[in-house]
Amino acid sequence: MTSFPILFEQIVNGLVLGSMYALVASGLTLIWGTMKMLNFAHGELYMLGGFGLFFGVSYFHLAPWMAVPIVLLVIFILAALLEKGLISPMLGRPDWDVGAIVVTLGIGIFVQNFAFKFWGGDFQEVPYMISGTTSFLNITLAWHRIYILSLAVIVLVAFWQLMKRTRFGLALRATAQDIEAATLMGISYRRVYMATFGISASLAALAGTALAPIFSVNPWMGSGPLIKAFIVVILGGLGSFAGAILGGFIIGISESLSVLFLGSGWKDLICFALLIAVLMIRPSGLFGGKEW
Amino acid sequence: MKNETYQDRLLKTFRAANPCLMWAFFVVLAILPLVVKSEYYLSVMIICLIYATLAVSWNLMVGYAGILSFGHQAFYGLGAYFSAIMTMELHLSPWIGIPLGGCFAALLSFVIGFPCLRLRIAPYIAIATLAFSEILLVICKNWVSLTRGEMGLSGIPPLRDFSLFGLFPVVFSGGAKVPYYYVMLSIFFITLLFIYFQTSSRVGLAFKAMREEQDAAASLGVNITRYKLIAFLTGSFFAGVTGAFYAHYVSILAPDAVFGMGEMVEIVAITLIGGIGTFFGPILGAFVLVIGLEALRGLADYRLMIYGAVMVILIIVMPNGLLAGFNHLLEKARNFGMFRKARN
Repeated sequence: MTSFPILFEQIVNGLVLGSMYALVASGLTLIWGTMKMLNFAHGELYMLGGFGLFFGVSYFHLAPWMAVPIVLLVIFILAALLEKGLISPMLGRPDWDVGAIVVTLGIGIFVQNFAFKFWGGDFQEVPYMISGTTSFLNITLAWHRIYILSLAVIVLVAFWQLMKRTRFGLALRATAQDIEAATLMGISYRRVYMATFGISASLAALAGTALAPIFSVNPWMGSGPLIKAFIVVILGGLGSFAGAILGGFIIGISESLSVLFLGSGWKDLICFALLIAVLMIRPSGLFGGKEW
Repeated sequence: MKNETYQDRLLKTFRAANPCLMWAFFVVLAILPLVVKSEYYLSVMIICLIYATLAVSWNLMVGYAGILSFGHQAFYGLGAYFSAIMTMELHLSPWIGIPLGGCFAALLSFVIGFPCLRLRIAPYIAIATLAFSEILLVICKNWVSLTRGEMGLSGIPPLRDFSLFGLFPVVFSGGAKVPYYYVMLSIFFITLLFIYFQTSSRVGLAFKAMREEQDAAASLGVNITRYKLIAFLTGSFFAGVTGAFYAHYVSILAPDAVFGMGEMVEIVAITLIGGIGTFFGPILGAFVLVIGLEALRGLADYRLMIYGAVMVILIIVMPNGLLAGFNHLLEKARNFGMFRKARN
């Protein structure tokens, strides 16, 4: 029988991982909600976040807490330009659904191999945001993990407030519901799409910067979280923000518990099986069909 | 034209496919080894045919039946591993192993197809099928006693020699590419023939009806469950056969080489770039992409960067794929100068 502290640590690990899946997945679900496309380059934006932090810290000698906002800003601008240049020419075309998938796949392949060619395939180390551990009641916790958890809560709450309270959120939700009516109200849907893509990319990049010290930085670090984030958004219901958060924690905790009970080789099996089981019971995911 | 639907465009490109050029292409494929003696070029052509068969069978599911499956590599891998293990453990002849590999993939496609039947929105099907193939990848990597995990299978027996009509010996051992080329070409042609007849029959009509409007098709008496399963069965069978051929052709198998997401990306890119929902598009796409990638081999690390960039540019510039773009050029040439036909 596993002792309680180990079980508790694994649950905390699951929460940490789950909170980051929730960040990556809410970016995906945001793009689906507004633009009705699956972004297969999302994992590469996560990877760029990790590399951004690495360059900021080791080349520009910035403190990590300063590097992160700069990285997010750069990724936001980059993603908005990417949307403007490569995604928006596809808008309104009849092959939008599959065509957009292939375009984002192509962008992903390009970015991944660009990183491999120019930044190398080595595993790069990034310092912790806050180093050291704390312990209480026989349980040891790394400060960095506490930082990740609180960061996720703050960002997700802020994001939710942005959607519900601000004029931008209103414009975004209006565009998601009815693009023509929104245009008649004076909303430029192209600008909304650019901002949506940028925000979604920044969420992925933030998760990348947060997890980079735990799993080191390399050109392929995005593919795992990408598949997990897809599983999360489908599990939670595409387009549902609550679904992405709940799904993220479900997948994160089930993953870390299955490492404990099944071993790390089989851990991915559980979340895929979980997805299929949920889809057999609820074909539109846990929160599918609900608007946020 | 903004009101034109996707399906209208597909129909147009399908009609515009030039049958003469298509037949000429097939004849060239059939006589190619008589002209091309280089083993290297033949091996590239075999890879082209493998991806063409995969793309054609994927296109049947996605382009015709409208099931956005992202798990086609699962069937490819299942066929490959099943035939390899059967021939290695039970000493079956690879000639039996190849169709058995297809049957096994088709059998398991029921397991994959069944949960997908209730899914209505395309991305759900895409991710659910992707999850299935990832499950198979995890199993394949971890069931070491059967698949030898990440080390991969090696020493898969080559196809057995036989003599054609008792007169011409066909030798597969010794690494000659010509016999393998013809075996793959036969698999390719059988796939094309089957899919051609299937899509031009009532089944094909049902597929199209289902793709365009599932509820309307159901209300007209199309048994959605049945036709979705037929699409899964056909697509997976041919992918499985191709995989089994691949296993005996290269004689080594690793989990990522067949179950990896890279295979899926390649199949999707080939079909989309060639022209999804058309008969000839995926074939054209396979030859253009595989040969193109091979030609870029000298660029080493830049190769995959260019591959990604070309993928993006082609999709943006040619919305309906190379086939439609090609036909458009042909149409222009025909209406130009002395090629202009007298039309009423």
